[in-house]
This record gives sequence, structure tokens and C-alpha cells, in this order.
Amino acid sequence: MNPIRTIFLTEIGKGLWLTLRKMFSRPVTVQYPEERKPVAPGFRGRHALVRDPETGRERCIGCLRCAKVCPSRCIYIETERDPETKRMVVKRYEVEVLRCVFCGYCEEVCPVNAIVLTEFYEYVGYRREDLYFDKERLLANWDEFLTTQKRPYFNPYWKPRGVPEKMLPAPKRKAEGV
Amino acid sequence: MAPTLELYTRKIGHPEWEEPFVVNMGPQHPSTHGVLRLYLELDGETVVRCDPRIGYLHRGLEKLSENMTYTQAMVLTDRLDYISSAANNTGYCLAVEKLLGLEVPRRARLLRTIVCEMARISSHLLWLATHALDIGAMTVFLYCFRDREWLLDIYEKICGARLTVSYPRIGGVRLDFTSEIIDELYQFTEEFPTRITDYETLIDVNRIWLRRTKGIAVVPPEKALNMGLTGPSLRGSGVPYDVRKFRPYDAYDEVEFEVPVGKNGDTYDRYRVRMEEMRQANRIIRQCLDKLAQTEGEPVVAEGAPDLLMPEKKKAPRAVPHPKKGFMVKGEEVPVVPEGEVYVSIEAPKGELGYYIVSDGSGKPWRVRVRAPSFVHISAIPEMVKGHMVADIIAVIGTLDVVLGECDR
Repeated sequence: MNPIRTIFLTEIGKGLWLTLRKMFSRPVTVQYPEERKPVAPGFRGRHALVRDPETGRERCIGCLRCAKVCPSRCIYIETERDPETKRMVVKRYEVEVLRCVFCGYCEEVCPVNAIVLTEFYEYVGYRREDLYFDKERLLANWDEFLTTQKRPYFNPYWKPRGVPEKMLPAPKRKAEGV
Repeated sequence: MAPTLELYTRKIGHPEWEEPFVVNMGPQHPSTHGVLRLYLELDGETVVRCDPRIGYLHRGLEKLSENMTYTQAMVLTDRLDYISSAANNTGYCLAVEKLLGLEVPRRARLLRTIVCEMARISSHLLWLATHALDIGAMTVFLYCFRDREWLLDIYEKICGARLTVSYPRIGGVRLDFTSEIIDELYQFTEEFPTRITDYETLIDVNRIWLRRTKGIAVVPPEKALNMGLTGPSLRGSGVPYDVRKFRPYDAYDEVEFEVPVGKNGDTYDRYRVRMEEMRQANRIIRQCLDKLAQTEGEPVVAEGAPDLLMPEKKKAPRAVPHPKKGFMVKGEEVPVVPEGEVYVSIEAPKGELGYYIVSDGSGKPWRVRVRAPSFVHISAIPEMVKGHMVADIIAVIGTLDVVLGECDR
């Protein structure tokens, strides 16, 4: 090493000069509970079942594709036939959130865009049951998400960007934002 | 030799000094980057013998994937090397695509290359942060995490997750980039070289850093090859082996980049190699972004790519969704992934990451074997720390850049 550099600690001086300069630049730290970073559109957060504004019921038709594609097998669905209208309705739709890996396969595979992973990420529970969402809870999650959501919402997996239209089922092709 | 109970219960200050002094480093040691446990036999402060004990993070991912379809098993590869999950996903998808004989569209290949190089930068930033912190440079740690945060934010915009991205899919990628993401990536590549210069100002010629890294854990090229080191750890010894150059996958044959190599094979050279690799990764991202404009509007999924609901052989709906009748066409019995075996390796940030997949045509992998660089690197630790001080073990673990999630699987 150069003796002048060794004596005068130039490299340490340079490093300290850099940190000193950074002292006067704008801090990048986000003081979390007081201020929040904006969530990117399409963030895979808390689960919700989309409520159809026309019928007031869930959009889900109980085709079991989400339950089948789920890698951690955390979705349980039970369907029954409505005796009056003779249509299949979903009796049970339960998501065990503690097992979910948030891969987003369920929302991608859903042909009617019924299940979504919303952009809501602050949910905790003291007991395991708090994070076991049944159908009512999932629908309530959707309502809560819509009231807190400021911008129009369109989940990217409702109509995946760049995927040719002929590979998508019909309802996904004409999916619209909320 | 397995340690006996006697060794653990030996009284310190026993008159017979032939017995070595045994220290268990880890699994809770903060500098072992996870749950690595090193069984050390010391002579004073010099390491006589080192014996890594692994398996504290074993989750049985290889076995788990045997009970899943190919698409489901891709989610598991996120959890191998959780710092650069996009690279793991890409390697797995490449292996399955080779089995299927799929040709991935150009745009998807470019997107994957971008995501892989982002993973490389983010992995190297985390490596630099923790390596410097272990050796005693706190400021670099904070600066690296600041920049890594930016990359994770871009990941969040790309696919909705920050760490476990699951972004590629068999036959392409799951989502295309939006124009905002491309703009932000341009901004990132513009600014990132100055950030690297900042880190170099802080530690490149810092005398403490030089004392702690120069001449530590010197690995000659032949020895590095014999120990099976790959990636930057091998290139630090001067062997220019890079899978991206030797067997180009995705879009690496379209882009120009250099493979930096070291001279002496010590910790400092491996540090230099990784710093230079970040610059090259930045360059690759830049070139890919320029090429993305040529493929605007093209699909990102291959024509015959299997649906996410990869069926089992017995009750197989057709692998390609029917254009008219929708998804669930009950058709003839088609094996979705044909029988055969395949080995595909990629240049992950840590080293050469290989996937060996055996398929029996049933729709689920019969066997998935992961050749994890971290596992091989950990097996090289005993050779590298022999004769060094205890404090240098930290530098060696740092310089090999091991991740225990990948090692234990």
C-alpha cells in the first residue's frame, strides 16, 4: 500500500465522506405504523371471495379447480344442488390461511374470477381459528377490501397479461375491473 | 469420527492436553447464515478440524414434490434458495420444458432472463450486506438493503410477491411486464452502477476489509475444481466456468456479458468477482429491456404449454385447453409429461444449480433431485478453514455464500 495513503487514512476518509454526504440526502426509511408504502397492484395478500354485485352472492360456481391446483391443499369446498333453482351452489368454501403459500394459482385457474388474493396484508390472529376463513368471512374480506381500496381494482390474474386469449376461458377473456 | 459424550463433557483445564478443545458453532450463531452448525476442534484459536452438521432446515422438498403435479412442485423451488427464488423457478421450468420438448417464446425468455439477473443482483446484495456485516462493516449492510428493497419492490410489481415469486411457469412466464415496470427497471439499471461504486468506496481499499479478506481461505484452481465449487466461488480462483456461457439457456446467447475471474482465489478475489458480476447482471438486464421492445405484444406462454391444472394420466383432460369447449375436456388418456429423465443446470447466483427429474409419465415427477450449490460449498468449508482462526470461519462462510434452505432442502 502507498505509504502516504497509509499514514493519512485516505480510504477511511473517503468512506466517511460518503456517509457524511448521505446524512444530508433524503432518508429512505419508512416509519411503518405511521406511514405505509403503497402496495403494488396485484399484490398477493389476504384471500377473498368476490361478491357478485347483481346477486349479492359469491361468484364461485364450485368447480373445485382452485382446490385441485393448490400446492398446499388449503382450500376445502363442498357443493350442493339448490332444490328450488336446481343449480349447484357452494355450501362450504374454507381457506386455511396458515397453510397457504400465496402462489396465486387459485386466482389464475379460477374460470369465473371468484377467488382473489387481495392487496390487504395486515391481518393477524391470536388463535388458529382467526386465520381459518369460511365463506362468510371470505365474502366479508372482499367487502372490507373494497371499502378500503382507493383506486379501481383489477387483479392481474383475472386476465393474465401476455397470455393469448384462446388459452383463457370465456369469462376471463371479458373480465372487468371493480 | 463421531464425537463421543466424553468430548462434550471434558473439563476445561484438564491436565492432559492431547484432547482437542471442542466448540459448537451454530446452529443459532447469527453469522452462519441460517442454521448451519459447525463442530470445531480448536488448538488455541486455530481450527484443527471442522465438521459441518447440516439438516436443521430439512423440509423434504424433494420428497414432497413426488406427490405433487409438475406445476405445483414449482412452488416448492421458491423455498430452496429463498433469496433468489426466480432463478430456482427458471431452472425447474427449463427442466420440465426439456422433458416436454417445449419451445418457449422469445419474449418469455427475455423476461425470465431479466428476472434471473434481478435475482442475481438481489442475492449478491444480500451476500455483500451480510458478509460485510459479519466482518464488521455496518454501513454497507444498510446501503445494500436499501437497494435490495428497490429490487423487491419491482418484483412486487411484476408478480405480486417479493420473495417467493413463482413468476415463471412451465412454457413461459405467468404475467407480462407492464410499461411502468420497464420504465422503473430502466431507472434502476441507470442508477445501480453508481450504487456499486458507493459500496466500493466504502470497502474496496479499506484496510480492515483487506486484512480480513486478503489471503484468507485461498483455493487454488485445481483444488476448487476438485472440491466441486461452482459459481463465483470457483471463478474467484480463476476458472472461467459459467453455465450461461457454456450451455446458454433462455436469452443468454443473445446478450453480451463478460465472465469476471479472480487471480489468487482468496476471499478478496471472490468479493471482487461478485461485485463485477453485479455490474454484468445490470448490463444484461439493460440489453434484455432493449430487446423487449422488439417483441412487444407477443405471447409469453408457449403454444402447447400445459395448463396449471396438470392432469394425471388416468383421467386426463387434454393437456392444451380446448379453444371451444373450455378447460375440462375429458379426452383420451394422454400422459402430460412423457416418460424420461432429464438433467438441466443453470447458473444460479450461488453456483451451478441442477435439476434432475425422472418422469414415469404419470403427471407427477417420479423423482426430483436438486444439485444445490450450497450443499457442495458447505462440504468445502472444512478444507478451507483448516489452519485459520475462528474469526476467519465467519469470513469463509460469508465468501462461499451458503444458504441453508437450499443445502438441507
